[in-house]
Amino acid sequence: MGLFANSEDFEKVIVGFFNLVAETPEVADKLLASKLVIRFNYHDPEVVVVVDCSQEKIQVRSGDKEAQAIVEMSMSADIAHKFWFGKVNLTMALARRQMIAKGPVPKILKLLPAIRPTYTMYPRYLDTSGHSNYNVH
Amino acid sequence: MGGYAGQFLQIDLTAGTITKLPLDKAFARNHIGGLGFSAELFLEHIKNKPHFDAYAPENPFIVMTGPLTGIPLNGAARWTVCAKSPLTGFWGDANVGGYFGAELKCAGYDGMIITGAAPSPVYIYIHDELVELRDASQYWGLDTYTVNDRLLADLGVDAKHQGHTLSIGPAGEGLVRFAALIHNKGHAAGRTGLGAVWGSKKLKAIYVCGSGKVKPAHPARLKQLRGELKDLYAESIGIAAMRATGTVTHMDVGIISGDIPIKNWNQTDWDQINELGPAAIEEKIHAGHRTCFGCGVACKKDARVPGGPFKMEKGPAPEYETVAVFGTMCLNPSIESVAKANEICNRMGMDTISCGATIAFAIECFEHGLIRAADTDGLQLAWGNSEAIIALTEKIGKKEGIGAVLAEGSARAAAHFGGQAADFLTTVKGLEAPMHDPRNAHGFGLAYGVSPRGACHEASLTFEVEGGTFYLPDLPGLTAELPPGSQDRAQLNVVCQDYGMVFSHCAVFCNLGGMPLTATRTVEILNCVTGFDYTLEELLAIGRRLWLLKRGITGLFGARRKDDQLPKKLMQPLPEGPTAGSTPDMELMLAEFYKIRGLTEDGVPTPVTLAANRLEQLAELFKQA
Repeated sequence: MGLFANSEDFEKVIVGFFNLVAETPEVADKLLASKLVIRFNYHDPEVVVVVDCSQEKIQVRSGDKEAQAIVEMSMSADIAHKFWFGKVNLTMALARRQMIAKGPVPKILKLLPAIRPTYTMYPRYLDTSGHSNYNVH
Repeated sequence: MGGYAGQFLQIDLTAGTITKLPLDKAFARNHIGGLGFSAELFLEHIKNKPHFDAYAPENPFIVMTGPLTGIPLNGAARWTVCAKSPLTGFWGDANVGGYFGAELKCAGYDGMIITGAAPSPVYIYIHDELVELRDASQYWGLDTYTVNDRLLADLGVDAKHQGHTLSIGPAGEGLVRFAALIHNKGHAAGRTGLGAVWGSKKLKAIYVCGSGKVKPAHPARLKQLRGELKDLYAESIGIAAMRATGTVTHMDVGIISGDIPIKNWNQTDWDQINELGPAAIEEKIHAGHRTCFGCGVACKKDARVPGGPFKMEKGPAPEYETVAVFGTMCLNPSIESVAKANEICNRMGMDTISCGATIAFAIECFEHGLIRAADTDGLQLAWGNSEAIIALTEKIGKKEGIGAVLAEGSARAAAHFGGQAADFLTTVKGLEAPMHDPRNAHGFGLAYGVSPRGACHEASLTFEVEGGTFYLPDLPGLTAELPPGSQDRAQLNVVCQDYGMVFSHCAVFCNLGGMPLTATRTVEILNCVTGFDYTLEELLAIGRRLWLLKRGITGLFGARRKDDQLPKKLMQPLPEGPTAGSTPDMELMLAEFYKIRGLTEDGVPTPVTLAANRLEQLAELFKQA
C-alpha cells in the first residue's frame, strides 16, 4: 500500500499544492509562459488533475478528464509525492516507465528549471497546510 | 562472418612499413571487436617489454572499430583508440563517434596498430587498398580545423565523397598530457591524453576514404530488427530529449539530484545555473543539429557566437561535460565563453574535461594564494572570470607561461604548486573526474575508483544504470531497486563492467544512441550483424575477461589499491543541497568489489582469477614483475 490511504487525501494534498504554485509568481510566470495544458493522471490512489497554463492565470481543475491536454503525465501518487521533494531520479523513472510523459518533449523539458523552486516549497507546504503527516519521503 | 572488414593495418612509423594482417574468425568471435581486439593486441605488443614511457616509440597506438561500426543503425557509429596514457601512466583509451570508423571499415580495415615513431611529421593516407605514409611537415603546427580543411583541399578530393580526417593540434604536438585526437571538426577522442602519444610519434593525421560497404551476416533480419527498434526509439523520452537538446539536457535534470559539480565540487546548487541550461543555449548559441554515421538520434548540436569577446563561427556546440566543466565548475555563467573554450579545445586538440577541471583547480589554487597574478602573466583567475578562463585555455594549449605547468595535468601541477594544492584535485589515477558527483550516486564513486583508465563515467555502464538512462531488467545480477547509499554498489559495478565492456567497448554501441536497448536486443543485433550465435552469458564472460585484462594492464603499469581511492575533494560532505552529508563508503565498496571481482587486497587480479578467465599471459607477466 502507498503513502496515501485514499483519493480524497491525495487530492487535497496535490490540488492544494498546485494552487500554491499557481499563486507563486516566481514559478507561475514561467509556467504561464509555456502555455501548456498538463493533465496529471495519478494512480494508487486514482486522482486526475489538470494544470492549465493557457489562460491569464493558472487554473487547477481536479477530476477534469475532458480538457484537451497538451501534455499527459502518468504516475503513482507515491512517485508524484517523492518528485515534489526533488527526490525522484527523473531519468530512471522515465526509463522504467514509473513516470510516463506524453506530449512535446522539448516543451516538457523546459518546465524543469521553472519548477525547481517547488522542491523546497513542497515540504514547507505540507507542514503549514495541515498535512505534516505526509512530510516524509 | 558479417560486420567485419576482415583485416588490420600494422604501421611501423620507425621503419616506415605498412603490413596488412588478416582478421582471424576465432579471434573475432572471442573478442568481438573494439577494445576487445585492442587490449589483446596491446598486450601482445608490450609483453616482451612491459615497462616503457608513454612517449616512447614502444607505446603501441591502436585504432579499432567494432562489428557494428559502419552499419547504418542508431548508436552504432562509434570506434575506439588506446595506448598507454601520458596523463596517468596507466592504460588509456577513448571512444569516439562521427564517420571515421565507418569510413575505415568501408576502406577495408577493422583497425590499425601504429608502432614506433617517425623521424619527421607524417600522416597516414588510406584510400581503399592504397595505404601510404606521407610527409606532414606542411601541416605541423596547424590547428585541427585548419589541418582538416587543408588536407582535404590538398588531396583535391571531390565534395561528394571526400573521406574523413583524424588529427592532432598544437596541444598534441606540444605533448600536453591531456591532448585529444579530433576527427573532422569536433568529434573528440578526448580522455587520457592520447593525442600526445601521436605527438611523440610525429603522427599529425590520418586521412581515410573507403568505397566499400559493411555487410551484415543477416541483412533481411537486420531490416526487420530496424523496424522493431523504430517503435522502441519513438517511445523513448531519453532519445527525444537527446534529439531536442542533446546531452546538455542534463543541466536541467542533474541539478535536481546534485549530480552537477559546481565551483570545483564545492557546491551542488547555483543561482545562475539556468544561464548554462538548454533554454539559454537555444536562445544564445544554438546553430543546428549534427549526427554521426547512420544514426537518427542526432544528439550533437552546432553553436555560433555572432559577436563579442567570445565570437566563434558555426561549429560543434559544447556538450554537457564541457558546459559543466567550463561553466559550473568555474562559476562561469557565460555560455558564449563556454562555446569558445570548446572551440579552442577542439582546435588545439585537448580533452575538455581535463582542461576545464584543471582550470577550476587552478582557480581554487589562485583563491588560496598558491598561484599569484605574477605567475599568470597578470590573469586574475577569479571564479567566473570568463575572459581569464579563455585566456588560460589558450595558454595551456600553447604551453605558454603557467599554461605549461597546467598542461601537465592537475595532479602534476598540484605537485608543482605544493602546499594544500592537492586538496583541490579531482583526479583518480591522475585523470580528472567527469561531471557526475558520486555524493549523489555512490556507485559512481566506486566506478571512478576502480576504472582501469582513472576517474571515468564511461568505463562501465554503472553511470547509465545507477543514473537511470539504461533500464536492463534482463541483465542477470542487477538488483531491481538499489537501496540508498553504498550498499550493493560493488555488485552493480561488476555487472555493469561486464556488460559495458561488451556494449560500448567491443560492439561498439554509443551509450547515448543505444540507451533504449535491453541486453537481449544487444545480443540479437550482434548476432544478426556478425552471424555468430552468442548467448548473453557468453558475451558477459567476454566482457569480464576484457575488464580484467585492462585492469591487469593498468596493474602491470603499477596501479594498486591506493590508486583506487577518490580524492579528498570528492569525499568531502556538503553542508546543504540534495547530497547534504552524503559521501560514498569507499572502504566498504572496495572490499566487496575486490572480493566479487577476484582481486587481491592490493587490487590486482589473483592468479586464480586470471587463470579462470584465460589470462595466463598476463599472469606470467605479473610473476615476472
